[in-house]
Amino acid sequence: MRLKKLTVIVFVIVIMVLMSAVEAAPITFNTALPVAKDEYLFRQQFVINQSGKDPGNLNRDRTAITAVTTLAYGINHKFSVFGVLPYQIIELELDMAGQRVKRDNSGVGDLSVFGRYIFHQHNQPGETFRLAAFAGLKAPTGDETASDNIGSLPPAVLTGSGSWDVFTGLVLTQQTLAYQFDGQISYRVNNEANNFEAGNLFRLDGSLQYRLWPRSLESGVPAFLYGVLEVNLVNQEKNEAGGINDNNSGGTRLFISPGIQYVTRRWIAETALQIPVTQNLHGTALENDYIFRVGMRFNF
Amino acid sequence: MKQVLLLILFVVLWSSPVFAAGKQYDLRVDGLACPFCAYGIEKRFSKTEGVANVEIDLKNGLVVVKTTDGKSFTEDQLRNIVKDAGFTMKSMSENSLGK
Repeated sequence: MRLKKLTVIVFVIVIMVLMSAVEAAPITFNTALPVAKDEYLFRQQFVINQSGKDPGNLNRDRTAITAVTTLAYGINHKFSVFGVLPYQIIELELDMAGQRVKRDNSGVGDLSVFGRYIFHQHNQPGETFRLAAFAGLKAPTGDETASDNIGSLPPAVLTGSGSWDVFTGLVLTQQTLAYQFDGQISYRVNNEANNFEAGNLFRLDGSLQYRLWPRSLESGVPAFLYGVLEVNLVNQEKNEAGGINDNNSGGTRLFISPGIQYVTRRWIAETALQIPVTQNLHGTALENDYIFRVGMRFNF
Repeated sequence: MKQVLLLILFVVLWSSPVFAAGKQYDLRVDGLACPFCAYGIEKRFSKTEGVANVEIDLKNGLVVVKTTDGKSFTEDQLRNIVKDAGFTMKSMSENSLGK
């Protein structure tokens, strides 16, 4: 039963992955920058989520490696649709009946689709300010019932939740030739599946990208090297198992995420390390060590 | 002498607007602030029939569009292409490209 508490971590990962979009902008969440009409953007990101600080006595150590594929399409200059599909490799080690046990799983995760509408924009020479709203749906395409030689895998090792979930939020972007700021507020409602319901999730994110190179702009379209600093506040309510609150799940995490981003006309390479600065979790919920991200985006 | 006259006539005709030249449009575009976003405009114009070349100057918010021979655009057409890419065209100037 205690292993179900680990689902907090799973859903934190999934949300962080799903809320990432594909424009030049934040590494850990969305942006309000446009996708041109009838154009596609593609993003491939790899995420390593390491959690090994176990306040309980199971000495849990969990590693999840996720390859996140995102495709965006511009319906028009204001409305874009996104599809996000993760592939996960999850490994959990823990003490069980006096032995060290490893449980693992891999496969395609839950597919998310969402739409984003830019409802306000103000363009000036060399800068833009935009506000957008987004809403979407997560479908249970991942495996929700996998098992190993010990028995059924706990939610923390499953690639799918089994539930249809919805999420929505607001995002703003202020972009100039020298810097970019993005902010996002979002909420996700997780639903019950297989007698389990993960806690709903609230997120508040901020990102500052500052152009480090070239120091002064020349003519044409030079590539930009941005220094990136992001902040992610993630709060999750307690999970429910069999209709009863799990007092060892949910809580609040705050990440500081330094990163770097190289932006050209047709592609972007980026990496960031999400470092937990505070983790105020309920009971023995497993704490994060770090989340490492590396990826590329393509404009084609 | 006749050959010289024919040669002169050929050169004059070749260099004259009888062969309709393309156009160059210099567009002032607001909202352009990063290379990846600028490519959205470039793609929109590149897919437009009659566009021969697109160059962008990010620093000055300038998009230079050159058309193929005989092709021209109205201001509204150009404004809509820029709008479809998510940006705002503030002004434009038009020049004929000499042959």
